[in-house]
Amino acid sequence: MLNVKELLEEIKASPYKEIVVRAPHTGVVEFAELAVGDAVVGRSGTYQEKPGTPLATLTREKNRKPINAPEKGEVQSIRTELEGQFVEAGEELLTIRHFLTRKEVIELILQQALHLFRAPERAKYYFIPEVDQKLKVSGKRSVKVHDGMDMLIVSRMKRETPLAYSGPDGIIYSVYFHRGENVDAGEPLLGICPEDQLSTIQDVVTRVQSEWEEE
Amino acid sequence: MTQRILIANRGEIAIRIMKACRKLGHEFVVLYTDADAESGHVDLARELGGPRSLYRIQSYLDANEVLSVADVAEATAVHPGYGFFAEDFRFARRVVRRDSPLTFIGPSWWVIRDLGDKINTKRIARSLGVPTIPGSDRPIYSEMEAEEIARNLFAFQRDQGLVNSCVLVKASAGGGGMGIEEVEDPDQFRSTYRRIRNYAKRNFNDEGVLIEQRIFDFNHLEVQVLSERGGERHVHFGTRNCSVQSTGMQKRIEVAPGFVPDELGYAFNAAKVLEDITNHSLTMAADVGYDSVGTWEWIVTPRGEPFLMEVNTRIQVENGVSAAIARIGGHDGTDLIAEQIRMAFGDGMGYAQDDITFDGVGIEYRIIAENPAQRFAPCSGTITRFSWTDQPWLTMHTQIPQDREYEIPMEYDPNLALAIIHGADLREAKERGTAFLDSLVLEGRAASGFNTNIDFLREKTASLLEF
Repeated sequence: MLNVKELLEEIKASPYKEIVVRAPHTGVVEFAELAVGDAVVGRSGTYQEKPGTPLATLTREKNRKPINAPEKGEVQSIRTELEGQFVEAGEELLTIRHFLTRKEVIELILQQALHLFRAPERAKYYFIPEVDQKLKVSGKRSVKVHDGMDMLIVSRMKRETPLAYSGPDGIIYSVYFHRGENVDAGEPLLGICPEDQLSTIQDVVTRVQSEWEEE
Repeated sequence: MTQRILIANRGEIAIRIMKACRKLGHEFVVLYTDADAESGHVDLARELGGPRSLYRIQSYLDANEVLSVADVAEATAVHPGYGFFAEDFRFARRVVRRDSPLTFIGPSWWVIRDLGDKINTKRIARSLGVPTIPGSDRPIYSEMEAEEIARNLFAFQRDQGLVNSCVLVKASAGGGGMGIEEVEDPDQFRSTYRRIRNYAKRNFNDEGVLIEQRIFDFNHLEVQVLSERGGERHVHFGTRNCSVQSTGMQKRIEVAPGFVPDELGYAFNAAKVLEDITNHSLTMAADVGYDSVGTWEWIVTPRGEPFLMEVNTRIQVENGVSAAIARIGGHDGTDLIAEQIRMAFGDGMGYAQDDITFDGVGIEYRIIAENPAQRFAPCSGTITRFSWTDQPWLTMHTQIPQDREYEIPMEYDPNLALAIIHGADLREAKERGTAFLDSLVLEGRAASGFNTNIDFLREKTASLLEF
């Protein structure tokens, strides 16, 4: 049985995550008026329609792209020496110290409780059209999976091959990959919850929700 | 005048373009992504290009990345290599029309627009009486229309007395054999059509598909064309045979010339077929005012009937095998990439068709970490050893560093190296090809076993150019 209390204590001992904000592409960077120690917030609103705190802008081919805080936190460092300079893609711009949210803690703990279907190799992953459609229409917990079921498309080196699910029967509880992003071999793709364990999983979620205090 | 050429491509072609730039006295600017940080093209740029010659970008497919670097690096021209930009007329148009215009090293954008699309090409070819494959001559976006074309093609093949009728479904915006599937059972057509449509949408951002008759047991031939800027002067650099392909119709061995009627017997007049496809290709080049390097791709049936498949309005991977047998004014060392760059800056060709002669047979091997036994599934992993014996008749193009281990990036084509062999005739070229493959060492480690296509290449060498 999962020791939620122990896991929570472990996370509480180090409840922060350092987020490195990098230039998503090339361009000339201009920082917003921020100082080390300033608080920033991530995307918010009912529909996530409000962007996070502006951190910088990146101008490329006459387009100004705002760079906003991806999560709530505190500015830890800013590379002010890059102000007004052309930067290459991936250049580190600033760092944010982020206090883990309830949702993130739940995901961390659920990774211990769910059956994780992992990436067999580094590649991009997509759901097959039938599953994708069902997930979009009815939500992820509506999709039942069983061993040998065609589930994903593996895309690497411009070749696409099908990938069948292997593991216990259950429902898709968590999806850990994003469309168009590479997943390393061994990283979790899906968290599957056997139907008879659904109530146990819900208990874990409720427990974390009541015990984790967000900053 | 010295130009500063931005190379908007990666891997071995970036290396060949850098070398061509050096030969012509031009400077270059090279791009790379995080996934490609260990590629040999990055090493060579550092070694030959000096500071300000290398920039990290987010994606090779992002035009804004390419052009923003071009400005910062003060480039005067863009060479798209053989990547997707090479056949994207909007990109070519943007390069020459922007506020800081650059030279696009390739055909003029309107030529790419007219020929870069398989469907337009088919229409132009049909208007000139050039034979093309039966099927749709525009991209199909409607499932009902697609099914009707497929039904008609199946019926047509049945009427022709073909026992195993088959229809090809192709992503209209694809190229290089990507996004093509066969359908033998009319009942399976719809699911294949949907799969290709979705693939095309994901990879090319265009759902259009082409539906064509599948021609069996054909040979895949090419005609290498070079035209001056201005579109008035056109020459050819002979033919190639690219019939050795993977199950996904990706080329694995290319041979120049396309057939060797002096050495092998054919059931048709092979010399005439080569002459016909060359003439048809040059006729089309003249008609559209072609103005760079380009390839006319043909399929030839076992009865010796040629059909034009498409025109690749770019330098191709296999250009080197044609260059290996071509002599200009009797001189060795033909470099079609250098010729393409010269033409782009408006230089005169300086020679005519009569000055181009051909000597012997060239074979190009595409060396890839893949498993031919499992439908050529590309292999992920790390290359631990890669070596071969140098020979005067061998040219290697590769981005794999020889001084360290190399992790194969998952993001790009799986080609690791190209080996070009030259022989006085087919027999000698095949002997040398086999000797080269025997000397080749390619080792690696991968989670599910490391595979290469070397045995496949060796096996196919035995019957090259037989039809």
